[in-house]
Amino acid sequence: MLSLKGVNVHIGKLHILQGVNLDVKEGESAALLGRNGVGKTTTLRAIMGLVAKSAGAIEFNGTDLATCQPHEIPRKGIGYVPQGRGIFPGLTVLENLCIGVTGKPDAQLEEYVFTCFPRLKERLKQQGSTLSGGEQQMLAIARCLMMRPKLIILDEPTEGIMPRLVSQIRREIHRINQTGISILLVEQNLETALKLCPRIFLMEKGTIVYSGAAQELKTQPEIVHRYLGLSM
Amino acid sequence: MMDTILLLALNGLIWGLIIALIALGLSIIFGLLDIINVAHGDFFMVGTVLTWYVLQETGLFWPAFILVPVIGFVLGALIQRSIIQPIRNAAALSIVATFGLSLILQELVRMIFGATPRRILPPIQGTIPIFGIEYEIYRILAAALSVAALIAFFLFLQYTKIGTWMRAVRHDRETAIAMGIPAQRIFILTFGIGFALAAFGGVVAAPITTVDFRGGVDLLPFCFMAVIIGGLGNLPGTAAAAILLALLEGVIQSFADPTVARISSLVLMSAVLMLRPQGLFRGLAK
Repeated sequence: MLSLKGVNVHIGKLHILQGVNLDVKEGESAALLGRNGVGKTTTLRAIMGLVAKSAGAIEFNGTDLATCQPHEIPRKGIGYVPQGRGIFPGLTVLENLCIGVTGKPDAQLEEYVFTCFPRLKERLKQQGSTLSGGEQQMLAIARCLMMRPKLIILDEPTEGIMPRLVSQIRREIHRINQTGISILLVEQNLETALKLCPRIFLMEKGTIVYSGAAQELKTQPEIVHRYLGLSM
Repeated sequence: MMDTILLLALNGLIWGLIIALIALGLSIIFGLLDIINVAHGDFFMVGTVLTWYVLQETGLFWPAFILVPVIGFVLGALIQRSIIQPIRNAAALSIVATFGLSLILQELVRMIFGATPRRILPPIQGTIPIFGIEYEIYRILAAALSVAALIAFFLFLQYTKIGTWMRAVRHDRETAIAMGIPAQRIFILTFGIGFALAAFGGVVAAPITTVDFRGGVDLLPFCFMAVIIGGLGNLPGTAAAAILLALLEGVIQSFADPTVARISSLVLMSAVLMLRPQGLFRGLAK
């Protein structure tokens, strides 16, 4: 479904991505893990066309994304939940929710989204800036769902969220994946990644250094320690 | 004395409404594109000159209310695409580029239209009594049209998809693109709307000012003051500040020199910058 082959990104003089190879299959849930500053967010931004790649190819369902304008990429079926959530603070919850929808919003889909995140329904007229961090994250995910994505890429969705909301967000990400939508999750939280994603990519210095099953990674604590600095 | 104060206050209020239209364009262009558009006063001037042409060619004033903003929109879109787009992400360059654009517009108008200032007679003659003074009917119509245009603009921003997209791009360009918003088209549209608003202001103001190739030069600092006092990128604040400034200058001109009135505006702007740099009307920001 999504494949990155030898993707390189330079920002100024810095060589941020140094030949990233990664793929996400249809219906799959995969996590991209790594320490701060290894290039995880840049990888997602490269997929969304928000940063220009200097070499390599990114394909989604057979389409070379280099042939698309950045604003056309979400319409190909890739939903993006950016780091920091990217809620438009001066827009209402409803406006945020429907921002990517062209034409009349699908009432059935809207109802489904409110089933997943009932809190949003109570706050439709509130400005996005008035929501809590957890509610903003729910809105960011709900906003993606409204665009009927085939793949959602999430950049640290549980970062800075109250612990009791983290489990709800995890649950909803899992539920979304169960409906057939693929997930590519960037996480610092190993526990969240291992719970949600059967396949793991580890990143170090702008390149993928490990890819394999989550179960397999659990049996290799030395790899986790080397690339994430964590003990299992 | 009271009659004079009232008359100048009313004139100030009406100018304030017209300037609000122009300053809104300036503010929205700054908010979305990070462009300090030094040519914005000239967009107003082009509006007044085009109004004069429409009147000359058709013998009618009223078609200018449709034709001139449409021409302004197209010109604005072309300018964004050809001049502003290539220097995007270079705010400092935008000052130089739009200063050059300002000179080009002025000289083009001078070449085609001539250097002699001209006057347009108001399409509606006559006066009506207001608060004990006889006041020109056209000026009241000008105020009503300006208010209608301001309301239409805010309704457009608030209740249309494109308006929502414009607000979203203003908040966070990158996330907007990631939500499928064609930001580049929004930039073109915004510049076009900015020009169209200024041109519409030019049509409204043409019968109450002189039509002159340098007609936008004096207006520009006033618009910038409105944007600063209203709060950078704060559209309702900008409109409110334009009205406040023009009203203030109008009242002061009733007992002092116009230079003193302009100094008062500058003092107000300086005070706002020192005491409330986020703008006088922060509460109106959205």
